[in-house]
Amino acid sequence: MIHLEGIEKSFGSVAALSGVSFSAENGRITGLLGPNGAGKTTALRILYTVLQQDRGSARVDGFDTLESPREVQKRIGVLPDSHGLYPRLTSRENVRYFGRLHGLRGETLEREIDGLIRLLDMDDIADRRTEGFSTGQRVKVAIARALVQHPKNVLLDEPTSGLDVPSTRAMRDFIRRLRDEGAAVLFSSHIMQEVTALCDHIVVMSRGKIVASGSPEELRRVTGKDSLEDAFVAAIGSEEGLL
Amino acid sequence: MTSIMGRGAGIVFTKEVVDNLRDRRTLVAALLYPFLGPGLILLMVFAIGRLSKEAELPLKLPVAGPEHAPSLISFLEQNRVEIEPAPGDPEAAVRSGEKMLVLVIPEGFGGQFRDGNPAVVKLVFDPSRNEALSSIQRAQALLGGYARQIGQLRLQSRGVDPRVVEALAIETVDVSTPQSQGARMLAMAPYLIIISLFVGGMYLAIDSTAGERERGSLESLLINPLGRAELVLGKAAAVFLFTLVALLETLIGFAVILNLVPLERYLGVQMSLPLPALASILLVSLPLMVFVVALQMMIASYTKSFKEAQNYISGMLLIPALPALVMAILPVRESLWLALLPTVGQQLFINRILRAEEVSPSHLLISSVTTLAAGAILLALVVRRYSREAILFR
Repeated sequence: MIHLEGIEKSFGSVAALSGVSFSAENGRITGLLGPNGAGKTTALRILYTVLQQDRGSARVDGFDTLESPREVQKRIGVLPDSHGLYPRLTSRENVRYFGRLHGLRGETLEREIDGLIRLLDMDDIADRRTEGFSTGQRVKVAIARALVQHPKNVLLDEPTSGLDVPSTRAMRDFIRRLRDEGAAVLFSSHIMQEVTALCDHIVVMSRGKIVASGSPEELRRVTGKDSLEDAFVAAIGSEEGLL
Repeated sequence: MTSIMGRGAGIVFTKEVVDNLRDRRTLVAALLYPFLGPGLILLMVFAIGRLSKEAELPLKLPVAGPEHAPSLISFLEQNRVEIEPAPGDPEAAVRSGEKMLVLVIPEGFGGQFRDGNPAVVKLVFDPSRNEALSSIQRAQALLGGYARQIGQLRLQSRGVDPRVVEALAIETVDVSTPQSQGARMLAMAPYLIIISLFVGGMYLAIDSTAGERERGSLESLLINPLGRAELVLGKAAAVFLFTLVALLETLIGFAVILNLVPLERYLGVQMSLPLPALASILLVSLPLMVFVVALQMMIASYTKSFKEAQNYISGMLLIPALPALVMAILPVRESLWLALLPTVGQQLFINRILRAEEVSPSHLLISSVTTLAAGAILLALVVRRYSREAILFR
């Protein structure tokens, strides 16, 4: 369960977020949709504790990101904006490092790693050093690394960017699977088709504000448009960001 | 709480060590480079040995006009000088380096000598040529000796005691021990030991800070439930380990040279570096290692890229060179205010230990405490830097 309330954040004199509030429920995929520069990454970064908001509160399973960042970190799995790997470590070692930092060890940890390697279909790259991996392979390792501790809240910043068609399909299946296991999945995208294909709940952002939110049907109703594409354009007031 | 904290730092430490053992640059800096210092000293010892052997060889001296001073020539020959024919233009030959020095005996020598006037001989040399210095000194000493000998004979023949012209009897007392003579050869050693501290963990310090950010793995790492102090301490401990390994290698290198290589054959004295001295050097260096590690991490955390960090941190190698240069030019004695400066103090102490001299325990204590304190302050600043959101975006 993820909840943001009245979040404001400025970088110098530039307001990145001005009063952002939304929730991502358990067992639901919430899509954060908006053109580049809308503030999606900033909102996620505040949630996953590497940025601090100027005003408002962000909570994960009831824990405040500013008051108890450690508790929040224990409860989230994150594919951040930049998800570089350690090139001299193998995929397995990359995942193991983060598992250990989450307090896993021994048999339990190795079982988790093996499970993720099977699930993400990474047998061929599991024991190779990650130097020279393709974007798809790198994203797989980064996802495995983020989810090794079985988080109940999953934050994914543009998880399909740079992926080819089969990898994108695999990623969508994987996200649905996380939802079916009961996790609160929050992912950001600037691609409307992707959000409509996956999400139970959509939050549309533009210029640091929430301009619309709801299920795909609700969005269509609120904006009075038939297609979600038109609804999106109506919500953000431009066709910028549409594919 | 502390056990959990120690565990997080331990996980980071283990990962950095394993990761960097696979990095060629780190390995070269930590495992190969430290042997350069002792190797350099060994080369110097061989070079010095060759020079001192030269002193035992006959001096080859080209002489122009030897026929004008047969008695001087026979004096020189008795003192192991090989007289050679002089080149046509002595000054040009010396200037071009073809000859180290040339003795010119003018035609009027015999007449001046007979009349009891100072008889002129010319010694042509170029003291800016290092390799000529020992030959020049020997030739000057021999000519002076001949002049004194003739002078004394002249006084005696006139019924004067030669001692009346000796107003002073200069006695020299050489208090240098074999150890301190040897230490002259080792003047570079403190610098080489300290520079190994600066090099050993250098790449790891950069790789685990600026490198981690440049690769884009820092953001993911910071999301883990791990205090920033643990993160910094784990990384610092890994840098410290590589620095320690580099120092130990350098010390072992020096111990092998001083204790096992038969230096007597080259230097005329045997030097030694007993185990307690090695341990003292290690002890003196420990606080400095903390300081160097913290300084490297501090610098690397403010740079944008691996390359930028590398530029600044390799520039830091000049820091230990500065006091060594100053000491080579100005003879600096150990004093409290110098001992307080990190790297300078340690160089002075290591120098004394190598010369088998007493180190003032109070100076050592004060120096170690200030160096450690400076290191701790720097580490605290690194932790603070890592606690800011700017660490990701710098």
